[in-house]
Amino acid sequence: MAATMVSSAGGLLAMLNESHPLLKQHALLNLNNYVDQFWPEISTSVTIIESLYEDEEFDQHQRQLAALLVSKVFYYLEEFNDSLSYALGAGSLFDVSEDSDYVHTLLAKAIDEYASLKTKASECSADVESIDPRLEAIVERMLDKCITDGKYQQAMGIAIECRRLDKLEEAISRSDNVHGTLSYCIGVSHSFINRREYRCEVLRLLVNVYQKLPSPDYLSICQCLMFLDEPEGVASILEKLLRSENKDDALLAFQIAFDLVENEHQAFLLNVRDRLPTPKSQPLESANPRSTEPVSGQTEDSTASEDVPMDEGASASTTSTPQIDQSEETYSERLTKIKGILSGETSIQLTLQFLYSHNKSDLLILKAIKQSVEMRNSVCHSATIYSNAIMHAGTTVDTFLRENLDWLSRATNWAKFSATAGLGVIHRGHLQQGRSLMAPYLPQGGAGGGGSPYSEGGALYALGLIHANHGEGIKQFLRDSLRSTNVEVIQHGACLGLGLAALGTADEDIYDDIKSVLYTDSAVAGEAAGIGMGLLMVGTASEKASEMLTYAHETQHEKIIRGLALGIALTVYGREEEADTLIEQMTRDQDPIIRYGGMYALALAYGGTANNKAIRQLLHFAVSDVSDDVRRTAVLALGFVMYSEPEQTPRIVSLLSESYNPHVRYGAALAVGISCAGTGLSEAISLLEPLTSDVVDFVRQGALIAMAMVMVQMNEASDSRVGTFRRQLEKIILDKHEDTMSKMGAILASGILDAGGRNVTIRLLSKTKHDKITAVVGLAVFSQFWYWYPLIYFISLSFSATAFIGLNYDLKVPKFDFISNAKPSLFEYPKPTIVPTATSAVKLPTAVLSTSAKATKARAKKEAEQKANTEKAAAAAAGEPSSAVANTGKGKSSEKDGDSMQVDNPPEKKAEPEPSFELVTNPARVVPSQEKYIKFMEDSRYVPVKSAPSGFVLLRDLKPTEPEVLSLTDAPSSTNASPPAAAAPAPAAGGQQAMAVDDEPQPPQPFEYTS
Amino acid sequence: MDPKLTEVSQYFERFKAACVREDIDTSANLLSQLKVLLTSFRSLPPLFEVTPNAVQELTIARDIYEHAVLLSVKMGDQDAFERDFFQLKPYYTDARKRLPRSPQEHMILGLNLLRLLVQNRIAEFHTELELLPAESLEDPCIKHAVELEQSFMEGAYNRVLTAKQTVPNQSYDYFMDLLAKTVRDEIAGCSEKAYDFLSINDARQMLLFSSDNELLKYINEEHPEWEIKDGSVIFQKAKETAPCKEIPSLQLINQTLSYARELERIV
Repeated sequence: MAATMVSSAGGLLAMLNESHPLLKQHALLNLNNYVDQFWPEISTSVTIIESLYEDEEFDQHQRQLAALLVSKVFYYLEEFNDSLSYALGAGSLFDVSEDSDYVHTLLAKAIDEYASLKTKASECSADVESIDPRLEAIVERMLDKCITDGKYQQAMGIAIECRRLDKLEEAISRSDNVHGTLSYCIGVSHSFINRREYRCEVLRLLVNVYQKLPSPDYLSICQCLMFLDEPEGVASILEKLLRSENKDDALLAFQIAFDLVENEHQAFLLNVRDRLPTPKSQPLESANPRSTEPVSGQTEDSTASEDVPMDEGASASTTSTPQIDQSEETYSERLTKIKGILSGETSIQLTLQFLYSHNKSDLLILKAIKQSVEMRNSVCHSATIYSNAIMHAGTTVDTFLRENLDWLSRATNWAKFSATAGLGVIHRGHLQQGRSLMAPYLPQGGAGGGGSPYSEGGALYALGLIHANHGEGIKQFLRDSLRSTNVEVIQHGACLGLGLAALGTADEDIYDDIKSVLYTDSAVAGEAAGIGMGLLMVGTASEKASEMLTYAHETQHEKIIRGLALGIALTVYGREEEADTLIEQMTRDQDPIIRYGGMYALALAYGGTANNKAIRQLLHFAVSDVSDDVRRTAVLALGFVMYSEPEQTPRIVSLLSESYNPHVRYGAALAVGISCAGTGLSEAISLLEPLTSDVVDFVRQGALIAMAMVMVQMNEASDSRVGTFRRQLEKIILDKHEDTMSKMGAILASGILDAGGRNVTIRLLSKTKHDKITAVVGLAVFSQFWYWYPLIYFISLSFSATAFIGLNYDLKVPKFDFISNAKPSLFEYPKPTIVPTATSAVKLPTAVLSTSAKATKARAKKEAEQKANTEKAAAAAAGEPSSAVANTGKGKSSEKDGDSMQVDNPPEKKAEPEPSFELVTNPARVVPSQEKYIKFMEDSRYVPVKSAPSGFVLLRDLKPTEPEVLSLTDAPSSTNASPPAAAAPAPAAGGQQAMAVDDEPQPPQPFEYTS
Repeated sequence: MDPKLTEVSQYFERFKAACVREDIDTSANLLSQLKVLLTSFRSLPPLFEVTPNAVQELTIARDIYEHAVLLSVKMGDQDAFERDFFQLKPYYTDARKRLPRSPQEHMILGLNLLRLLVQNRIAEFHTELELLPAESLEDPCIKHAVELEQSFMEGAYNRVLTAKQTVPNQSYDYFMDLLAKTVRDEIAGCSEKAYDFLSINDARQMLLFSSDNELLKYINEEHPEWEIKDGSVIFQKAKETAPCKEIPSLQLINQTLSYARELERIV
C-alpha cells in the first residue's frame, strides 16, 4: 500500500502551486488518494485547494475533485457543515455507495440537514427558503440506492424523516413484502413522527397504498382510518366485507370491529355504526330502534343468540317478509352483529362473562383488611370499600358487601356516596341490568324514597361507571336526574356519571346541562361539573376550553377551579401541538391551580408520545415552580407522556425520586406507576422499592399504589419481589402504629394488585399501539384522588381483561385449545391466602371433596383426552424450532383449564418436573407477559382470523358441519335479579342475590331464555 | 529503453543546456514540460510502483528537480524554490532505499536551510535540522547554515555578514545577500522596542547603512510608521499599537453566578 511509501504530502501540496493545470490535476488526484493519511498536512493548505475549487477557469471535473478533497479534509477536522457544503460541490464525485466513514458520516449529515430543512419548510409555510437542489439530489441518490439494494426499511425511514412521501410510496410499493413493510411503516409513523398533522399525512398515504394492493389488509387500513378519524372509509370497507358471499370476509369484518372497539374511541365508533347502510328491504326499521333504550331491547331478542344483546334490528330481520332475497338477509343479519360489536356491547358482555367466570379474587385478604382496620378510622374504612370495589371490578361479585352489611352501614355522608358508587365499579359493563341493580339507590323522582342524597349521588356516579364510554342508553336518564335535582351531592354524582357515560361525545345539550350546574357556583357540584365537562369534550379541542378557563378565573372556589382545570386539560387530549397555545396560557397563569391544570394538559395532549419538548417543559416545571402541587403534578405528568416507552421512565425520574421535596418524590412514584402499569418492569420496581419505606407518609402511599399498578397480575414465580411486596402490604395494614395515609395506600394497593378478580391489567395502549382513550382519561382523573377520594374509582376505566376470547361466526365462544409455551407456574394465579383459623376451615373439606370427586371422575376421562392433545401439541411444537420438546411425554399434570371446577383440587404431590408448556382452553386468561408464548395448534378445528395472542379473536371453523361445543354461556345476568330493595335502609342492603357466589365458585348457570 | 524515458532525457539535456546558457525563459518552459511528463511515470512518488525502469526514472526525476531548485535560485524566485524543493524532497527521504545518494543533496538541503533562515522561519529551520541524520550535520554546506543560524540567534550580526565570504557554493550568494536584509529587519525590530528615538547617524550605523539616503529610503519602504524629526528617528507610533487584551470579568461573574443558581435548583 502506498501509504507506507511517502512520509509527507508536502511534495504534492507544493505541486498545487505549479502553474501548469496538468500538474495541479495530478496533485489533486494523488492528494485525494492520500487524504486519509495526510489530512493534517493538507489542512494547512486547504485555502489553496478551496481557491482551486472556486477558480472559474479550471476544468469542471478538477473543481469537483478539489471540492471533494476539501470536504474530506473538513470531515477530518470535524467541521461537518463545511464538509457537507463542499461535498455538495463535488457533485457526482461524492459516491453515496462508497463504504467509508467519511461517506457514512456525510450522508447522515446530509439527510439530517435535508430533513430539518424540509421540516422547517413545512412548519412555517410562509417564507420557505429554497432547498439546495444539490442536497436534494444527494438524498434522492441515497434513497434510490436503498430501494435498489432492497433496504426498504432504511429508505422508508429516510423518506419519512425527510417528508418525501413520494419516495415513501415508491419504497413501499417496490418492496418485496408489501404487507410487512406497510405494518412496519405504521409502527414507525406512530413511534417516531412527532407532529400529528404530518403523521396523518403519512397514514393517509399508507391507506392509499393499502387500497391499491390486490389483497388489502383491511385490519390495518381500518386502524389507520380510525387515527385519521374517517368513519366513512371504515364503514364502506365493513359494508363491502359484510356483503361478501364469503363467510370469512364477514369474520374479518367482525375482527376489524373488535379491534376498533379496543381503542375505545366512542364517538368514532358511533359514527361508523351510523354510517353502515341499512339493508335495502327495510330502510328505516333497523336503524331507528337503536336510539330507544337498549335495556328494553333485551327482552325481545328471543330469536338471536343468547350472549349478544341484539337490538330490535334482529327481530325485525327475522320477521321480515320472505321475498327478501337471500343476500340481503345475510347482510342484515351480519349488520346486526357488527352493530352490536361496534357499540361495544358484545365485547363488554363477553368480558363481563369472562371476568365473572374466572373470578379468582381472594376474599380472605379483604377479610383480613377489614378486621385490622379500626372502626373509627373512616379513611381506612372507606379505603377498604374502594379496595373491594377495585378487586371485584367488572366481576359482578359483591359477596363481600353483602356479608358485611352492618360494617358497611358505618359509612356515612361522602363515604356512603363512594360505597354506593363502588357498586358501579363492581358491576362495570353490566349494561343491561345496570339500572335495575342501582334502582334502590337512585333518586325516586320526587316521591322521596327516603334514600340519602349521598347514596343517590353515588348511584348516579355508579351508573356512569357501569356505562363508561358506552352510555347511549343511560344518558337520557342521567340528564333527567341532573335537571330534576337541586341537591349538590346528587348533582355531583350526576355530573360525573354523565361525563363518564357520554365520554368524548361532545354532546351540546349535555354540555349545556352541566354548564348550568357549574354556574350555580356551588363548590361540590361545580368541581364535578368541571370534570364532567372535560370528560364530555375529551380530545375535541373545542372552543369550550376558553369558556371554562374564563369561569375558572371568575369563581372563588378552589374546588371548582381545580375541576375546571382538569376539565380543560381533558379537552386537549391527544391533540399534541394543537394544544400548545392553551398549554402556554395555562402554565403562565398566576393561579397555581390553573398551572396545575396546565401540567395535566401537557400530560394528556402529549400522552404516550414521549415528545421531547413536552418532557423538557415538564421537567422544567418539576424543578422550578413555586407551588408544590404544580411540581408534583409535573412529575406525575411525565408518566403520561412516557407511557408508550415504559422502559425510559424510571431512568428519567430516578433523580427526581431522590428529591428533597416529598411532593416531587410522590409524583415520581406515580409517574412510574402510570407509565409502567402492568409491565412488571424490574427497574420500575427497583425505583419504587425504597420509596415504599419513605419517611413521609403520603410518599409511602403513592409508592405503594404505584407499585401495585406496576405489579398487577404478576405472581411470585415471575418476580420474587411480588411476594415481598404482598407481605409488606399485609404488615402495613396490620401495624397499629402505621400512619393512616400509608395504611390507606396499602389497602388500595392490595385492591389494585388483585384487580378485577385477578384477571385484569392496566393497559394504556391497545394492541395496535393506539392510545386507549378511556384508560388514559381514567388514570388521569384517578390521579386526582389526592384531593377527592371518590375519584379513585376512575382507575377501573383503565382496567382491561387479560383474556384470549375466541369467537365463532355466531359470536359465541367455542371450545378451542391452544398452547402456552411456558411453564404454567410462571403465569398462574397467585396462591389464595390460607385460612388463618380452624373454625372457618371446618366446612371446607366437604366442599372440596364434592368438587374433587367430580373432578377425579372427569379427570379419568380427560386424562386420555389430554394425552392425545399433548401429543398433538408436541407434534405441533416440533414444527417450531424454539420449543422445548424434551419432556412433552409427561406434560399431563396440572391442567389449568378455563373450567373453574378444578382450581380447588389439591395440587398433585408427586415430584414431577413441571411441564414446559400447557394447554389452555378458550376463553383463557393470558397475561401480557405470557403473550409471546401463545401458539395455535396447526390441526385445530378453528383457525384464528388474525393471529393475536390475546383479546377478541374471530375463529374460522374448518369443520362447519360438526356440532360446536360452546363454553362461557353463564352470563351473570338475570332479569328477575332486581332487588327487593324498598325496605332496606342500609346503602348496600339491596343484595343482588342472583349470583350467590361463595368462596367457591358456582357451577355455570344456564342462560335464561325469556320468551 | 522506454520511449518516454528517452523523451524525458532529451528534454532534460535541452533544459540543462538552456540553464548553462543562462536562458531563463527557455529553461523555465522546458522545466514545466518536463514536470508534466514526469507525472506519467508511475514509479515516482507518491506511487513508487516497481517498474523495470524505476531506478532510471527516479534518478532522472531527481536530477530534474535538483536543477529546478538551482534554476529557481538563479531566477531569485523563492516560491519556486520552495515548490521545487518540496517536490524534490521525497526523492531524498522516501526513495533512499531505491537510489544512491545524490552528490548535490547536501548542497540543496543547505540551501533550503538558508532559505528558511532568510525568511526568518526559525521553527521550520529547526524542524528540518532535526530530520537530518547525524552525519549530514558534518557536511560543510549544512554546517555553514547551522553556524549562521547560531550567530543570527546570538545577535552577532557582523559574524553573519562576514560569513558571506566563506560560502561553500556560489549558489549560496543569492541567499547570503538576502540574509543581510533579514539581519537589518531584525535590528530594526529590536531598536523599535529598545529605543524611543535614535539620531539619524546612530540609526544609520545601527542598521548598517553606508549613507543617510539609503536609510531614509529603507524607512520609507519598510517602516512608514517611523517618524523623522529634528535629525532623529522616532519610534513612538509603532509602540502605540497592540493594547493588552481585556479580561471579560463581568461576563465571567455572571456565568458563574447563573451556574450556582442552576445547581441549587436541580432536584
